[in-house]
Amino acid sequence: MSPAISRYSSTVRTLFRELDGAGDLANDGGTIVSGEAAALDRGAWVRFAARIEGERFEDCRFRAFGCPHTLAAASLVAGRLRGAPLAAASSIDAAGIAYELDAPAEKMGRLLVVEDALRALLVDLGRVQ
Amino acid sequence: MPVEEAVYLDYAAAAPLDPRVASAMAACLADPALQANPASTHAAGRDAAEHVAVARAKVARLVNAEPEAMVFTSGATESVNLAVLGAARAAGKERRHVVTSRIEHRAGLDACRQLEREGHSVSWLAPGREGLIEVEQVAAALRSDTALVSLMHANNETGAVTDIAAVARLCEARGIVFHADAAQSVGRMPVDAALPGIALLSFCAHKLGGPKGVGVLYVRRRPRPAIQPLQFGGGHERGLRSGTLALHQLVGFGLACELAGAELAEETARVRSLRERLWQGLQAAAPLWRNGAAEPSAPGILSVGFAGIEGESLLLELDDALHASSGAACSSASGEPSYVLRALGRSDEAIQASLRLSLGRGTTAADVDRAAALLLRAVARLRAVLPAGALERIA
Repeated sequence: MSPAISRYSSTVRTLFRELDGAGDLANDGGTIVSGEAAALDRGAWVRFAARIEGERFEDCRFRAFGCPHTLAAASLVAGRLRGAPLAAASSIDAAGIAYELDAPAEKMGRLLVVEDALRALLVDLGRVQ
Repeated sequence: MPVEEAVYLDYAAAAPLDPRVASAMAACLADPALQANPASTHAAGRDAAEHVAVARAKVARLVNAEPEAMVFTSGATESVNLAVLGAARAAGKERRHVVTSRIEHRAGLDACRQLEREGHSVSWLAPGREGLIEVEQVAAALRSDTALVSLMHANNETGAVTDIAAVARLCEARGIVFHADAAQSVGRMPVDAALPGIALLSFCAHKLGGPKGVGVLYVRRRPRPAIQPLQFGGGHERGLRSGTLALHQLVGFGLACELAGAELAEETARVRSLRERLWQGLQAAAPLWRNGAAEPSAPGILSVGFAGIEGESLLLELDDALHASSGAACSSASGEPSYVLRALGRSDEAIQASLRLSLGRGTTAADVDRAAALLLRAVARLRAVLPAGALERIA
């Protein structure tokens, strides 16, 4: 096992293995918001899409390119949004994600890309509300 | 249900210890008659020294060298350091120029950077897109004060092979010391240290089925290149590398060389054929590309990039099933993309999408087919979650 691989926490391994929430929203109508951020120099590209129902996220999906921490973080965020009140999204940030994933410091740049994609989604949400 | 063993395709990093070598080393360690210092003059010391001599002869034979030309070290990194620093420092104040390339192993790169800090001038040759350093480039870089040319024979990341015979002839004609870093080629393809112009040649045991922690520097005997030692304390190894020799390591190194030499011709062809089988098997994962020339190349190395794939994720996806190396960012704490692939003109995205698969003596056709199937499945899974446009962009 390489030193890099040995640095993955069990949370990262589980999220990466399952990639829960990956893919596209079902074509069920409703209000859809999305946000995307990319920093290929950092090796990360993340897109979130969520269906809004009243004051909550009815569903959230992601697509992502990046290292295991990036994919795990995108999956974590999508899972947090699914069924959550809209206001809950603003409390999610890269520092909190890093803590939950037990991510090493050199991964922070990529986790900020995940946060940027979430912020872009919230901007889109503000546009439709 | 039995768990399938992982496919090991990381021979360029280290070949698994050959069980026959392990047995020989264990026997040496356990033999009460072989515990003396080989430098001791008593009977037990002379017995140990005889075993050293046998090992030295076996190591020398693999590269067609005289046993007396072989200086044992702790590995190829030390051998390269001794060659580069030792030869450049010994050349004197009038000859302070060194020629090397940007795609050397870190052992060579860092030694040359140290020479720059000491006031030497270094010409860093850049490879073409195929990863090759051409003899014409070397010729153009030589100066009247060039003391040393140091180049890898086979590149550790791409497998691209430099024509060291031509470079050696060129250096000999100009009276310049030539060092070949042959860590990736010895035991995997024919290497002849007796070629005219090769003054120094380094390699180690663990790339060819021997133990880690032992290597060798071939130092031509006639004419012997001027070289300063880096380590002092007894004048062992022709005064170039002081320190008590580890007999069990040398026994293992010698046997690994003997085994590699006996099987060299068949293995070179077999491994090359398996590599091409792997490359063909991966075509279903197109778009993909090969980093470095298909030929001339070391037989067991395939550096391959998959569009839209991040190498670290690919490695984790494969972790329990396939062991290989990533050329991607953050495979080390530094987070730096491979400087070798960058020197080939690859983008950071393409470097992140690259994986080095290296085959060796233990690799079978079944391993290759399983590795291809695992890679196809992993690539498909990671591509299935890409944002729109990423497949085209990340290549």
